[in-house]
Order: sequence, then C-alpha cells, then structure tokens
Amino acid sequence: MFNALKKKLFGQSNESKDTAKSRLHFVLVQDRTGLTNEEMAGFREEMVKVIEKYFVIDKEGFDIKYHRLADTTTLLINSPVIVRRATAPAAKAARVPENETDTETAAVASNV
Amino acid sequence: MNTRRDNGSGKKDLGEVIVITSGKGGVGKTTTTASLGAALALRGQRVLVVDADIGLRNLDMMLGLENRIVFNVVDVAKKICKPAQAIIKSKKSNNLYLLPASQTDDKDVVDEAEVRYVLDQFRREFHYILVDSPAGIEQGFRNACAGADSAIVVTTPEVSAIRDADRVVGLLSSKGIEARLIINRIDFEMVRRGDMLSVRDVQDILGIEILGVVERDDQIISAANCGEPVVYNQKSKAGQAFTRIAARVCGEQIAIPSFDGGSLWSRITKKLGVNA
Repeated sequence: MFNALKKKLFGQSNESKDTAKSRLHFVLVQDRTGLTNEEMAGFREEMVKVIEKYFVIDKEGFDIKYHRLADTTTLLINSPVIVRRATAPAAKAARVPENETDTETAAVASNV
Repeated sequence: MNTRRDNGSGKKDLGEVIVITSGKGGVGKTTTTASLGAALALRGQRVLVVDADIGLRNLDMMLGLENRIVFNVVDVAKKICKPAQAIIKSKKSNNLYLLPASQTDDKDVVDEAEVRYVLDQFRREFHYILVDSPAGIEQGFRNACAGADSAIVVTTPEVSAIRDADRVVGLLSSKGIEARLIINRIDFEMVRRGDMLSVRDVQDILGIEILGVVERDDQIISAANCGEPVVYNQKSKAGQAFTRIAARVCGEQIAIPSFDGGSLWSRITKKLGVNA
C-alpha cells in the first residue's frame, strides 16, 4: 500500500522486482543474441542513424527488444517519431505546431 | 488442446513423453516430476516417471521407493534386464511407476539413441512418461530431452533461475521441443510487496505458455521427508497446484492463478474459453 502510494507520489519505484526485471531484460538480450554489450550499443547506434535519415525521432524513447513467442523470436524496434519525412530535420522540427508534437511510434518488427 | 496425445499421426495409443527440466539446479524438477506424476495417476492416467539424473538419483526418494530398486534405466538401455523388470510400482497408486536412475554411473554412460530405445519400450503401456532431467545443459540434459514430445521448464521467480530457464527454452526450441513453464515457490506476499517477480512478470520475460504456478509451501519438505508426493495432501497449496497442473496437462483449461485478484486465487477454477 505504502509502496504503491509512494510510487504514485514520486513516480518512481524502489521495488526490488523492478531491478530484477531490468537486469534480466539486459542479460537475456545478450544471452539470446550472443551479442556483446559493445555490439548491442553499436547496433543500436546504427539503427538510430538509419531511422534518423528519414524521420526525426525521440532518441530517449528508442528501444530495442528481443521478444520470444512460442516458436519465433522477434526483434522489436520501437522508435517514437516526432516528425515524419524530415527533409531538413532542424528547420522542420522547429515548425511543428505544439499540438502536433505528440509522438507516434514506429515499430519495426522482424523475425530472427 | 486435447491433441497432445492423439495428434492425428496414428500415434494414438502411444504415451506422451514430457521432459521436466530447468537449467538451474534446486528449483524443484524432481519434486515436480514426482508430484505431477502422482497427480496424473490420481486422475486415472498410467504414468511412468523416469529418473534421468544418472549418478545423482533422487526421484526414488521422493516416491519412497529407494529400498525397492533392483535394476535401473542404464540396465534397460544396455539390455541387462527386461524393461518390465526395472520399473517399480508406487506404494500409493497402481497407475504410477518409477524407472530409477543408476547411482554408480556417469551421465554419458548412455547416449540419446539408447534413451529413445528405453522410452520406446514403455510408450505403449503408459499414457504419460515424465523424464526428470538433471540440472545443466550438457549430455545429461541432452539425454533427458531425447525422445521428448514436449517439455516442462521449472523455474522459481528469481533472476538466476529465470535466466537459466530462458537458456533452456532456447535450447529446447532449437530441438523443436515445445516448452511450457511452471513457476515454483512463488510467495504472493512478497509479490504484493514488490519484492518478487509476479507470474505476469515471469511470463513477459520468458514469453512461453505457463502451465502452472506453485506457491512456496512447507508441506513440500515434509512430503519429501516421508517420500510421499504432496498431491496426496489436498490441504497443501502446492498439492492443489500440482493437481491443477495435472488437469491442464490432460487438456483441461483451468485459469492460472496470477495473484492480482487477492486471496481468492486458489478458488479460481473457472474454465476459460480461450487458451491461456
């Protein structure tokens, strides 16, 4: 109860299971892909670059997940898109009216 | 769901072989094998439990049959005895039999082909053959998986057990063996406090079907002390959980208790219209 209240008030969690989850998330990506930390970081960086060629994205929200279903493992790349088809990213981003800055999410899924 | 045994391939009268495995040791594989075997037998299924943990046998202790062993799985594999001579009937049930491991051999004394041969000797006489795998992912694990139609992966809601379970699920999937998950020793009070991963958390992380959830229960220890599977004690929460798991193995659709609903979880037996 108290924890839940604290979570609501401060918007953060001190529950140990959340630490467990994020640590597992991290280590299982390595276990499943066989990529090292550096390789994962490199992959992430290159993916961001590729997407940025065509979109203005919110890099904070960029996320790569390896999601395993019953018989396939899926690579899920989530990238919040701020502006579509950015020809001149900086100029265009500045022109976007406030009510249009709601992010859309481009999800790229591929089976690995 | 009821297609596991008769999948239309003319295998109707052959028993289903299920390997019970986990990667990590000490999460409850042997207890699960004994309890699920006993629970299936209580449902009238003919069940053989096979101890594939050669060199470290324990399934005999769980069933209270340790002083009745004459021959073992290696003797059957090497044709030293007839298959029927090696299996031991449980004290409690006419439907439950044990094929013990050898205590004096190494894990690599048998190979995968020999394990398949052993299983084939019993497939016609049993509805279910549960193979208790040793911990690890080496030869003993590979042997235990040989001939398995499906797998049950046992984990506890702890990081190391889940990590190892994930590894095993990957290995099983590369062998084309479908795995379902049992989450063992969950403590709903700790889940409520946020100090233990919940059923949903574990399912999200591992991404496989959950076959059952077993609460941490002192009765497991006393049952093991006496060599009587916990399902004979229906006051035990773990015993009830294994009874539900047996029903699910037989294709019944019973909701998985996931806790969020409070203390009534154990009474949830509502049948679901969809496969969870």
